[in-house]
Amino acid sequence: MNGRNQNVLLARLNVTWDGQNGDLWEPVPFEATDAEIRAWATEAVRSRAIAGVEPRGEVDLTDFVVDRFPATAELPQPRLFVRPKTPFGAE
Amino acid sequence: MTARKVVVVGAGALGSHLVLLGRNWPVAFSVVDFDRVEAKNLQSQFHTKQSVGRNKAVALQQAMAGLWGLKVEAVPHRLGPDNAAALLAGAALVVDCVDNAPTRRTLAAAAATAGVPCLHGAVAADGGYARVMWAPAFTIDEGGEGAATCEDGRHLAFVVRVAAQLATVAQGFLTTGRQDGWHLSPAGQQRV
Repeated sequence: MNGRNQNVLLARLNVTWDGQNGDLWEPVPFEATDAEIRAWATEAVRSRAIAGVEPRGEVDLTDFVVDRFPATAELPQPRLFVRPKTPFGAE
Repeated sequence: MTARKVVVVGAGALGSHLVLLGRNWPVAFSVVDFDRVEAKNLQSQFHTKQSVGRNKAVALQQAMAGLWGLKVEAVPHRLGPDNAAALLAGAALVVDCVDNAPTRRTLAAAAATAGVPCLHGAVAADGGYARVMWAPAFTIDEGGEGAATCEDGRHLAFVVRVAAQLATVAQGFLTTGRQDGWHLSPAGQQRV
């Protein structure tokens, strides 16, 4: 996670938890596994490492989804999103 | 000139508010929903007490006609593999506002086959997160359908904000062809 390896593609990690949202201050490897990314996100929330996300109650991201967005011309840094499932269109 | 057809699948909290917010667009809305309005829906959906018991698509059609004189086509049926192609025929845009993965899959497949741009709106069960994204970038989440929904109205403001983002993105697409995607939470939103 420290970005020392110049060959590792680093991504911004965004986490949504309990209606709160924020970015981890340090980029993470884009090619990490979903389990690794969820574990980092969980630890980050628990340790208050994400500005704007307070660890209210038990923090469990086991069932959360990891979305991966490669860099684009408009958004040049790869992005990872850890988020809850979205089954509803509120129908 | 014939107005472009916009198909809205699901006339619940997202779909009903989307049509409300799109009422001045130069399009022809077609709203698909098999479900009926229940009293509990009134807390979070653009349906009124007078509509309880009616089909949601028909109720929305009547509300839009009565309040604004807007003609909306109502399709009071469930979208499925047998009718999806016909329901999307000639559409310039389809908006997914449904609440289950099987229907999303059917809709996404039919839209892809027909070449109709498909915009998805999807909300987390706890009302703390939502996505507004285009196919094929949108991924369909499996499971979670059994969880409590937002029908108690506790998340009405957020759900309407998601519907407004859906409307903004849809209108932008109809105007410029641009396809933006967004992640939303009560704390803010990010383009993806």
